[in-house]
Amino acid sequence: MNKRVFSVLYMFMITLFFTSLVTGVRAVNEERIQTNQKVKLQKVILSVLNIPVEPDASSDDLLRLFESSVKKKEMNGRTMYTVYDPSGKTPARYAVIVNGPGFWGPIYGMVALDVDGAKITGIEFYRHQETPGLGARITEQWFKDQFTGLPLSQDPDKKTFFSLTPPAPEKSPRELDAITGATQTSRAVEAFLNKELESIKGFQGSNEEK
Amino acid sequence: MTNIDPATLFFAAIFTNNILLTNFLGLCPYLSISRNLRSAFGLGAAVVFVMTFTAALNHLMYYQVLIPLKLDHLQYIIFIIIIAAFVQLVEMTVERYFPALYYILGIFLPLITVNCAILGASLFMVIREYTLIQSMAYGAGSGIGWMMAITAVGAIREKIQKSGMVPKGLEGPGITLLITGILSLAFMAFSGMIQIQ
Amino acid sequence: MQKPPPANEIIKQGLWLENPVLKHTLGICSTLAVTNLLVNTLVMNIGLIFTLTLSCATVSILRNVTPMRIRMMVQTLIISSYVIIFDIVIKAYIPDISEALGPYVGLIITNCIIMGRCEAFARNNPPWPAFLDGLAVGAGFSLVLFAIAVVRELLGFGTLFGFMVMPEGFTPWTIMIMAPGAFFMLGIYVWIVRSFTMQFNK
Repeated sequence: MNKRVFSVLYMFMITLFFTSLVTGVRAVNEERIQTNQKVKLQKVILSVLNIPVEPDASSDDLLRLFESSVKKKEMNGRTMYTVYDPSGKTPARYAVIVNGPGFWGPIYGMVALDVDGAKITGIEFYRHQETPGLGARITEQWFKDQFTGLPLSQDPDKKTFFSLTPPAPEKSPRELDAITGATQTSRAVEAFLNKELESIKGFQGSNEEK
Repeated sequence: MTNIDPATLFFAAIFTNNILLTNFLGLCPYLSISRNLRSAFGLGAAVVFVMTFTAALNHLMYYQVLIPLKLDHLQYIIFIIIIAAFVQLVEMTVERYFPALYYILGIFLPLITVNCAILGASLFMVIREYTLIQSMAYGAGSGIGWMMAITAVGAIREKIQKSGMVPKGLEGPGITLLITGILSLAFMAFSGMIQIQ
Repeated sequence: MQKPPPANEIIKQGLWLENPVLKHTLGICSTLAVTNLLVNTLVMNIGLIFTLTLSCATVSILRNVTPMRIRMMVQTLIISSYVIIFDIVIKAYIPDISEALGPYVGLIITNCIIMGRCEAFARNNPPWPAFLDGLAVGAGFSLVLFAIAVVRELLGFGTLFGFMVMPEGFTPWTIMIMAPGAFFMLGIYVWIVRSFTMQFNK
């Protein structure tokens, strides 16, 4: 056979074989990957809303717990997750997805608010591209815990909800510790979160009568 | 989705998050070609060029072809093929029309396909959801950052060679890695240039 | 064609004598970046060994049919296919680690060791020795990276595999988590090993 024709044919066959192999593996695992993503988001929602999850809960348990305790609704172009108090009548807390530019790429997070929308009860960051060990430390517990209890009202002078400043012994309640060495990420988080909180605040107010 | 200023991204990729000094990409050619300043500079220039354009090409390919066809799981194969094809194309063009330039860059071009920094820039661009303009700015910045690192270390190695004071076991890659560590430390200082408040 | 070297010779070469990292400083790019945590290093190393052994075996099986001119293309295709398969599998079974590794899994493709072993060994030898060679070289590579990761995680976070091992009040060496730590550790290892082998050879 002509050598050149053989080369082309060979390359074609090999490419066909390997791409089908890859596509096959992908097809087999597709469903699992999608469930993983769903479970991950639900875990974040449950955790930010302070709903205890058994440490060894399977993904089915998690789905059930989520279905039974959290209601999802769309409002003003935002997805809102509500958890009700034990009687099941009155809403207890809300969680809202927030996002904005980090230093290296988009950061996605979730903010939980008490029923009056007066203060923050929890925060989670679940997708980001920040540098591990530096900017990625926004997902560490100490950083997130600082936001708990933060009142959802702006400082009259600075027109911000909070600011991130270098750790110091005496600070006002609105000054949270920034991440040492990750100045840019801290600044980005401060900027986008303040903006998002402002939009959520208006949004909460308009829903108070419900 | 992200609205990071391309100019910021460009400078960040050069200084604060240098692709070689903080992401370790492109280390193999960096260690083997940095023996003298001249070749280090030649390779660096070729990388800048290829990285900028492959980032753009891969961006178009990913968002215009792979996503609509739902073939995004094949991105690794497609990206590396595009990079290889682009390098080949550049090599042929330069050889045919710019023989003088080919004389300087020619031998480095084939090495670029296996430079992880090039593929790395394309993968980061997808995972960070950059737009076309941001991708090009990021690609160019990363390329220039890589070139800066390799030329700096090339010059330092030349000097060290002349001093002849390096312990035997540390010669070659050993001392280069230690110098790179120090360079990386120095570049970290850039991240403090903009303070909070 | 010459006979393939015996198995124990292949293993000795890959693990120590021709250790890709310490002897040739090759192929560290994609993996060095994740050496600040042992778990990530472990998964990356498994990915590398998986890709390396299977690519070597496949290249070797096809060695008599593949036309010389297009062998690089074929090798790239084989390597990237295995990397994608690994990527899909970890996405499905260990999603957290997959997310932490991000683009670095894909960068296994451009790891020079894989292409290097395919070119230098697999394409001239039968599948079994090629597979073994991949395994030995991969293990040699992983050992060094693991040694770096142990020091970096221990000093940088005070933990091993996420468990606190350092006494209370230990101040983490932040530098170890960041990039310079990796360069220094690798430089020091290369220095130690080279000095030793030089004395040994005297």
